[in-house]
Amino acid sequence: MPPLPAAFRFSNRRSLLKFVLPIAIIAGWELLAIWVNNPFILPRLEAVAAVLLSPTVDILGNGSLAANAATSLERVLAGFFVAAAIAIPLGIGMGRSLVLHELFDTLMQLLRPIPPLAWVPLALAWFKIGLVSMVFIIGMGAFFPILLNTLDGVKGVKKNWIETADILGAKEHQILSRVILPGAAPTIWTGLRVGFGIAWMCVVAAEMMPGTNSGLGYLIISAYNWSQVPVIIAGMIVIGIIGIGVDYLFKVIDRRSFAWRELER
Amino acid sequence: MSGMKRIGIIALALVSLALLLVAAGCTQPSGTSRSTPAASTSVPNADVGILYTAGVGPMPQLLATQQIDGYIAWQPYVSIATKSGIGKLVVYSGQLPPDNSNVNHPCCVLFARDDLIAENPDLVTAISALTQASSAYIKAHPAEAADLEADFLVGKSNFTFGNISVSSVDVLNDAFPTVQYTTDPSPQWVNDTKRFVNSEIQLGYVNNQLKNASADQLDSLLFDFGPYQNASQELAAGSITTPHTEANPITIGYLTGDMHSAALSIALKNWQYFNDTYGVALIPRDPTQVRPDTADLVVNGVKVAEVKLVSGSAGPQVMQMAATNVVQIGYVGVPPTIAAIDKGTPVKVINPINTEGSGLVVSPGAPVTDWNSFAAWAQQRAAAGDPIRIAAPGKGSIQDVMLQIALKSSNLTFATVS
Amino acid sequence: MTLSLEHLTKDFAKNGQERVPALADISLEIRDEEFVCVLGPSGCGKTTLLRIIAGLERPTSGRVQIDGMVIDGPSQKLGMIFQDYSLYPWRTVNENIAFGLELHGVPREKRAKIVQKYRDLAGLSDFGNSYPHELSGGMRQRVAVVRALAVEPSVLLMDEPFGALDAQTRNMLQRELLNIWEKTKKTILFVTHSVDEAVYLADRIVVLTQRPGHICEVIPIDQPRPRDRTSVEFARVRRHVLDLINQRCSFP
Repeated sequence: MPPLPAAFRFSNRRSLLKFVLPIAIIAGWELLAIWVNNPFILPRLEAVAAVLLSPTVDILGNGSLAANAATSLERVLAGFFVAAAIAIPLGIGMGRSLVLHELFDTLMQLLRPIPPLAWVPLALAWFKIGLVSMVFIIGMGAFFPILLNTLDGVKGVKKNWIETADILGAKEHQILSRVILPGAAPTIWTGLRVGFGIAWMCVVAAEMMPGTNSGLGYLIISAYNWSQVPVIIAGMIVIGIIGIGVDYLFKVIDRRSFAWRELER
Repeated sequence: MSGMKRIGIIALALVSLALLLVAAGCTQPSGTSRSTPAASTSVPNADVGILYTAGVGPMPQLLATQQIDGYIAWQPYVSIATKSGIGKLVVYSGQLPPDNSNVNHPCCVLFARDDLIAENPDLVTAISALTQASSAYIKAHPAEAADLEADFLVGKSNFTFGNISVSSVDVLNDAFPTVQYTTDPSPQWVNDTKRFVNSEIQLGYVNNQLKNASADQLDSLLFDFGPYQNASQELAAGSITTPHTEANPITIGYLTGDMHSAALSIALKNWQYFNDTYGVALIPRDPTQVRPDTADLVVNGVKVAEVKLVSGSAGPQVMQMAATNVVQIGYVGVPPTIAAIDKGTPVKVINPINTEGSGLVVSPGAPVTDWNSFAAWAQQRAAAGDPIRIAAPGKGSIQDVMLQIALKSSNLTFATVS
Repeated sequence: MTLSLEHLTKDFAKNGQERVPALADISLEIRDEEFVCVLGPSGCGKTTLLRIIAGLERPTSGRVQIDGMVIDGPSQKLGMIFQDYSLYPWRTVNENIAFGLELHGVPREKRAKIVQKYRDLAGLSDFGNSYPHELSGGMRQRVAVVRALAVEPSVLLMDEPFGALDAQTRNMLQRELLNIWEKTKKTILFVTHSVDEAVYLADRIVVLTQRPGHICEVIPIDQPRPRDRTSVEFARVRRHVLDLINQRCSFP
């Protein structure tokens, strides 16, 4: 008897487990939708699939699924990069300098618990409608995970590493660039990963508030306004897929660049 | 059976079980038997429960899933229900009791911020002129207006509710005749609006500077008909005064999915006509956008201002944007405008943009054909301990105020349902 | 090269109030090219002593001078090897060795030559592009040593560098260290708590008492190298050292 093809051998079967639940849910969904027979509670799979499979078709005059996804992504990347550009240097500064830490710590602790969406009315009032207010809200969401992880990473850089550099004659800026930054990099990367996840949630929620005319959040609200449930679900699925996709990218780079982390932990 | 297979089958079974349980919780048999209402959604000691949905969007869905017994909303949501079979008409807003008090009732208005009126009155006049011209166009060409409005609202796509699909153009054709696109702030209209203020005071939605204002003070607090009158004269004379150019963009706010501001949508969609005929137009910058978000206000060939267009899902949201100067001009319901002015938002009503144009619908199975049978039905249900629930767009909206007055006139008590 | 320790004391402030003395009045002259072992029980302050000499900590009183210059901070004249090697895990062997050279802006080609020389010295010629987590403990320690040597310090300070290794690797590394020492003619100050190790390696053994550590004995070892652990002579010397420690150094 010929050997089993690779997919069915024991070691690979375990990784197939990943697909059991999603497939079960899809099958279950369709059965349930037929049984429930009320498209407002649970639309049929075909209805949602129809939306997903035509991503370039205009929906309710709001533009296509793909175009709105691109708009949302644009916004989140802008906000995310602005947040990282401020949070990483600030985190490094606060980690290296007690003075800076004392200066900023109270303010950070005050601002941190405020949900990013609470900033929407203020952001709209200060920056009016447009990319700037979006970047502000998304930035507020991404900022704190990045800052706190950077701080953590910098504080976690082994003292011996720094002292070795001292002894070998390093100046402060060299310690920052050749010891602190690479040493803290894995933790900073985790912060970026978490920060992006939050930023992504923020952009969609921010787009549901008055003042935007585009994006996945707006598409969902518009579909909600017109009771087009398949569009809502399709939008949610796209949001989830993009979220997973980007997170996966972060993970892959983490595995490749930071394999050395294993040594230290 | 190998270990892997066993685990797979068990997982599948568990998931199916979980989904079945979820479905059992979500489904309700068709009809109105709701065995025990959950504590949080029961109507506290009243005949009718009013559910505020912050906009009309979710209403068709709520009605179709029997979470509400009916809703009162602005067009085209009445036509959506009747054309798709999700609901049936009880009465249009103009015919709500008491008596004939609601015929030609005020609905939506054009407002502008005080600072804009002061700084560039000619611009506000031009907008009013465009609004008037566009309303005249709608009255003269209803079929074409329906077509353009369907495009503006939803890109002319169909409304699909499960197996039912209705063409948005058909819905709008059905809806247009029920909306009166009048722009004239007649004395009757002004009085009716001031009556609304009183209703709002009684309902507690207005309790600041408008509360103790005399009738004359009300006039100056609420209205500035200067631009309207200038616009009317300029339209009659056939020449609009060119406003001075604005350095910064002006933002116009309107309500999502609300055809009462059709004057705005038609002006944007059919700008060429208004440009050629009247010399004033809002020209979208991106002609491919179904719902333009940026346009240029062009008067007599001069680009006067960059105009941004932004929608909010309900009046209060648009007024909030007006209060923070995110929006300078808006097309919105008159009660939210009143409530905002009461709180100190520096805006004035320029002119009405429509009267009537809303309606009450109920589930298709309800024993209702008009308001009286509706009131009877409500009493029946209340007596049986299962009060009906009607959705309204938002506290203080026209629909809310009119519904409350109508219910009161039929001796029905009501309470908010969360 | 002259390295002199003059009346070094170090107190630590505990809970802000109490002063815990760690070192008391250490004075010593270390000669050029000498291999000195600092021997003492755990907690006697020998690591603290090394860190003071390295310039990583300030003495409470007294001072360290190298070539007539007072040490008040890390200096390149003194290289240090920590017990956990402190290799940079994100850098390859080559890049670790090159670290100090990079700091001083040594141009790439010259750097590569120096790195190669020290890599060969450490016997790691084939592992230039490996990462620390791919190396064994012994190999990592060798990298740490040549990384310190690459910037040509006059003195090498080593803090129990072989403590985490098994006996076999330890012995091998001790031999290699002596090899490197003879080739590079550095002065080495080597902290350990192993009498065996001290007798094997040192020209002089400096014995510290328990905390507060002070020097109770300085024992010269005249045996020629390489020393044979199994020889009778080695055993005799070790016995002698142990006796002296027991007699003179076992109480503070």
